[in-house]
Order: sequence, then structure tokens, then C-alpha cells
Amino acid sequence: MSAAGLERWLGEDVALADVGNAMARLRAESPVEGMRTSVMTHIAWVPEPWIDKARAALSGMGERHPSRTIVLIPDSDAGTNRIDATASLERYAIPGVEQNISSEVIELRLLGTRAKAPASIVEPLLISDLPVFLRWRGEPPWGAPELEQLVDLTDRLIVDSTEWDDLPFPYSHLVELFERTAVSDIAWARTSRWRMLLASLWPGIAHVRTIRVRGTAAQAHLLAGWLRSRLERDDIALEHVEAERLEAVEVDGEPAAFPPGDPPLPSDVLSDELDRFTRDRIYEDAVRATIA
Amino acid sequence: MSESPNPLEEGLSLRRTPDPCVLVIFGASGDLTHKKLMPALYALMVRRLLPPRFAIVGVARTEADDDAFRKDMKEAVRQHARDDFRDDVWEELAANMRYVATDFADDGGEDKLEQLVSELDAENNLGGNRVYYLAVPPVAFSTIVDALGKRRSGAKGWTRLIVEKPFGHDLASARELNAMLEEHFTEDQIFRIDHYLGKETVQNMLALRFANGIFEPIWNRQFVDHVQITVAESIGIEGRAGYYESAGAIRDIFQNHLLQLLALTAMEPPIDFTAESVRNEKVKVLRALHTPGPKSVVRGQYGRGYVEGVEVPAYREEEGVAPDSMTETYVAAKLFVDNWRWADTPFYVRMGKRLARRETTIAIQFKRAPHPPFEETSAEGLRPNVLIVHVQPDEGVSLAIGAKVPGQGMQIRTVHMDFLYGGAFRTAMPEAYERLILDTLLGDGTLFTRADEVQEQWLLVDAIVGAWQRDRPGFPNYAAGTWGPPSADDLLHRDGRSWRRH
Repeated sequence: MSAAGLERWLGEDVALADVGNAMARLRAESPVEGMRTSVMTHIAWVPEPWIDKARAALSGMGERHPSRTIVLIPDSDAGTNRIDATASLERYAIPGVEQNISSEVIELRLLGTRAKAPASIVEPLLISDLPVFLRWRGEPPWGAPELEQLVDLTDRLIVDSTEWDDLPFPYSHLVELFERTAVSDIAWARTSRWRMLLASLWPGIAHVRTIRVRGTAAQAHLLAGWLRSRLERDDIALEHVEAERLEAVEVDGEPAAFPPGDPPLPSDVLSDELDRFTRDRIYEDAVRATIA
Repeated sequence: MSESPNPLEEGLSLRRTPDPCVLVIFGASGDLTHKKLMPALYALMVRRLLPPRFAIVGVARTEADDDAFRKDMKEAVRQHARDDFRDDVWEELAANMRYVATDFADDGGEDKLEQLVSELDAENNLGGNRVYYLAVPPVAFSTIVDALGKRRSGAKGWTRLIVEKPFGHDLASARELNAMLEEHFTEDQIFRIDHYLGKETVQNMLALRFANGIFEPIWNRQFVDHVQITVAESIGIEGRAGYYESAGAIRDIFQNHLLQLLALTAMEPPIDFTAESVRNEKVKVLRALHTPGPKSVVRGQYGRGYVEGVEVPAYREEEGVAPDSMTETYVAAKLFVDNWRWADTPFYVRMGKRLARRETTIAIQFKRAPHPPFEETSAEGLRPNVLIVHVQPDEGVSLAIGAKVPGQGMQIRTVHMDFLYGGAFRTAMPEAYERLILDTLLGDGTLFTRADEVQEQWLLVDAIVGAWQRDRPGFPNYAAGTWGPPSADDLLHRDGRSWRRH
């Protein structure tokens, strides 16, 4: 979905005040009057390899969740220490009403040492009193200052453990964040249709011995962890067959029916996670059970 | 093990799924079915909110077979649904869609229906659960309800009955109707639809009041100067002269939609959001409601005029309307809610056809600041704070506040802080009928009107209409495309107030 109108400002080696001023100017000078309605600040930590995918998932997100989106692109190996910025205003028509809403997107390239203390960069740009969501692309650098700082700022951390290697080991680090912020996992969200289906197999599924999952490693581990934690059994074995998406689940050799409907698009999954505000205890238990 | 709760369901975003059932729509060839019910069912199917096993039976007098009915409904969905048409969704919805042609005047039709519903039940394992939707004129209610009631003895599963307005013509007929319904159905099986209650913005009144700590402390006579509720339509009677001539604005809008809006605005916080708690509080407001006398009610009828630049005929010139009709197309009233919270706080309400524009709003006008320390001229542009709930169109909430005009000196004027539903929540708003049909399937009567509410509403209407028998106003008394008769303005001017500007 494309924006009805879009204005853009670019700056090199900027101060954050420049970004704020540019955004105010974009709003004031816009030829289209638009309401500034926001429901959150949405931060995305996007290392260089993830930029294209991140932009695709974020495309149109401002329309679904009117917000200020701050995309942080760290490049600590750059030969210079500065912030380059792009500020843009995306306007979307409100159906049935002769008004537009505007969403703000601020893309900051954090070069050299400026990538070391991202919280101090983000904090002045947060919208007061609204929830802060942090989308972290790739596997977070567990224990690193940038992660620690941003986690302390956010109300909800959104990861996609499908993007991680050596599962289930990294879950042991994720568990340590549960008491500090609510966590969403896109990989977990993508299992929801299958979880509903497996839940419908109750009570027979209570005696499951082996679950065989054809999908990503994250989905396989999380489904097995979910069954172990919900059924309070640590003896449920997992057999995983690698596939790019969750394609099949077998319970003790019996294929489960394919869930109805189409799998959601990446932007739909992210959008749904941005509507959640509370801790997902069921997910947390499932993650703990993957590494038990 | 099967008796214990399913631990795998915990945390799943499982919406409550309705039990399998059959929905029987009486009046299946009518406008309501085409424009509202079938598009709503399609929208529920798109979102997978219907029960996994579900059947629809259309009942009408028109001779047709199952295929013709499905074709007709498919066209209705294509024309009126808010979602794009998808063959796979339609096929799923239409799979168990059947039709019975009967006028219910003979036992044959009733038996045919009963047989078909039983067959569908057995084929699809629907558990004997049935929803009967009376999308027919009230004159047909008793025949259908009697027939249904007589065949219900010993039936398994649950039965629910949806009744469309009008619920009677006056208190006596409403009591009669309720008695007739209650002869065969219990109150918790009867779902009286007032589609206004299915609107998101109407429900948002409850969220606004009871989910925000800042409003409720000032939501009373101490801080509120008065309340204005407007239900304005720019359209005329749209070919419904037969109904409108006997109903008029007071029965068409005031008795139901308007009084429900007022009840939600004035009610005390319910202890929880169950059907009984919410309706208990609403009925208390309706019981406390009165109008101080005939002079506090104004009625009007539109003459010729212009709406959106087009000349439109007077009400008496509409097809099917008597040339000397005394039916009111406009009502304005000053009402009071006699309780601790609202004593002496007027609720000014107005509703009508062929008004300047379509608008449904609830405006809470607060008292002026007691002593603004500015020069008199500084605050010339300042009006009292008003909280406006825009029910339709432009669904949302506005708060009018005073703000300093930038520049030298202290000039203050009123500005609006707007919350626009479509701006903050970008998902499409569900149609009222989607919510109400789904609630019926789930057995949740919160957004439906209870018998005692209906009767309290009629009690007030009867008191107003009773006074109208004694005088004969000079109709027409307002031009189409205006905001009603001058006497409606006088109603507020006498109190030193005026209707909100638009």
C-alpha cells in the first residue's frame, strides 16, 4: 500500500535537533493537510544486510499503525563518526473522510562510534506517553550495550528467531530479557494457526511422544516447547525437517490437517504484533521449554 | 482427561467460536437481508467468525428454489459487502444455504421449514441450535412466533430469536408484543436489535467514559451544563411512506436509537460488562427520564427545499404520503434525567429527516470557566468546552478547548482536538449487523434491548404523543435542507442556550 503523499528530507552529519526541525518543517510545508495521529513509537534496529527486508516489512506500516518509525542502521565499521538522516512524512487518506493522516519515518545511519549508544539517540525522538516497540532484525548481540540500552527503552521487543542460527541455544539469552520487557517473536506468531489446529486434537494429543515438524528450526523448537510446557511434559521428542516455512506437522507419525486459510504476509504478522501490549506468558514458557 | 480444560487453548487468540447452528431468516427477499444481513454474514465468513458448521435458510413468500436464492444472495454480497468478493469464501457460505417459499399462513409452509431445518441439522450435526431472524414487518411476527413456538416442544439445543424494530407502536402494543414473544421464548432467547448499539462509536461511548479516569469525575451536573444529542438525516423517507406515515420521527428514531444514545451517555458505570449489568443501568436512566411538559417538545415537518443543491419535494408531496399528513419528520425535546448525577441538567435532543446534513453526535457541553482572568475582548472567540462524540460520519471524538492565538497580547479562541477513528485505528470498522449477528450466535445480549427498556421508552413516547392529540401545528414548518423549525431554536433560546453550530 503506497502513501498518498510523501515528503522527504536528507541530511548528512546531523544533530538530532536538525531531524526534529526538518520533521516540523515537512509538516508545516506539506501541500496536503494531514492529522498527526500516533499510537506508538516504532524503533527498528536494522543492520545493513537486513535493510531491504526491513523496508519491505515496514512499507505501509505507518498507515496501519500511525506512528513515528525510527529506523536505526548501525555501521560501526564506517571510517567516520557521524549520523546521516532521512526524515519523511507519509500521508494516507482516511477512507470516507476528507482528511489525511501523517506518519513519520526517520532513518538514521549510525556511523562509527555513533552506533555505540543508540538509546541516547532515540530518546529525544520518542513520542511522549506512547508505547515504544523495538523491532530487532537478525540475532541480537546478547549482552551488547546497544541491545541492553534499547531494551530498557522499549515496552515490547519484537524479534524473529527464524533469523537466528544454532537454535535453540540463543533462546537461553532471550529468556533473560523476559523480566525486562515484553517480547514478541514473529516465528512464534507464524505458528499460531498450527497451534490452534493442534489444540483441537485435545485430549488425544495429551499423550504425544514425538512431534515431527517440517518448517524453520525456530518454528519446530517453539512448537515442541509449547507442547512440552502446556502439557507439562519434558519427554516430547522433536524431529525437525528443514523448510523455509511451516509446511507440515506430524503427531506420533499422524499428519495433522493443514490449517485453513492463507499464511499471513510478513507485514501482517508484524502489524499484529504491534497491537499486543502485554507479556505473552505462553510464549515465554515455550521458549524456556526449548532449552530445558 | 476429556473433562479437564484444554491447556493448549490457553493464550491462543481464540475468539469465542459460536456453536454450530442454523440461521433462519424470515423476510429473505427483503431489503434488509440483501443490504445488511447477507453482507454481514459474508464479512463474518471472511474473518472466520462463523461457526465451523453453519447453515442458512431463507424464508420468504417469493417463489424460488435454492439455486435462485443463492444466486440472489451472491449478487447482494457482490453489491453490498465491504470486502472484496472471493469465490472460495462465498462457496463456503453458500454450501449450506437453502430456501423455503411460504407466507406462513398455512401449516404446510411451517412444516416444510421444520423438515428442512431438521435435515440440515442432521446432515451437519448442528446440535439442534437455531437462530430465527424476523426481518419482516411486525404484522407477521405473531404468526411466525406462534408457529415456531408450537414446534419447539422438546427441541434439543438452544434457540434464539432476533426481532427487528419497531417493537410495537405504543406502550400497549409493545407490552402485547413482548407478551406474545414471552409466551414461547424466554427473555434471554430474545434479541431485539437496535442497530445503533452495534456501531463501534456507540460502544466507544462506554470505553470513553469508563476506561478513562479523566471524564467520569466531571460527567455530572456539577461540570456539565447540558447535553445535546443530534440524529440528523439529509435523506427523506426513501419510498417508505407506508411505514413512516404511521411511525413519524418519534417512533422511527426517538423511541429507539435516540433514547439508547441518551441512556449510554447518562447511565451509571455498570459493575461489569455483562448483558444484565449494562441493561440494568440503562433501564434506570430510562425510568428517570422525563420531559417537563408539552412546551419542551417541538415537532416539525419538512416542506420543499434544497439538499446538496438539489430541490427536493415537501414531505406531503412524497409518494404515498397524505397531502394533509400531520406526521412529524422532526422532533426536538428537552429531557431531564431525574437522578443524583443529572438533576436539572437538560438533555436537548433533536432528530429529523431532510436536515442540512447527515450527522449523529453526542455533545457534552461543560460549564464555562468560572473566572477567566483575561480581558473581555480577549476571549470573544472562546466557547465553553465541548466533548463531541461523532457517531457518524467522521467517527471519532473531539474536544473543544480554548487556546491562545499566537502573537502579541492574549487573544483566545476555540480549537478542536480531534481523535478520528479512521486515523488512529486503520482497520476497517465492522458494520453494526456483523457485531450483532455474531453476538446473537454467541448468546451475548449486551448490545440488545431488553423488554423493560423497550417499555420504558414507549412510556415516554406515549406521554409526548398524548399531548400532541390536543394541538395541530402548521405543517410544513421547516424547509428541507435546514436544521428544523424555528421553534426548535426557541426551545434552547428560552434557556439562554443554542444548538451547536455546524
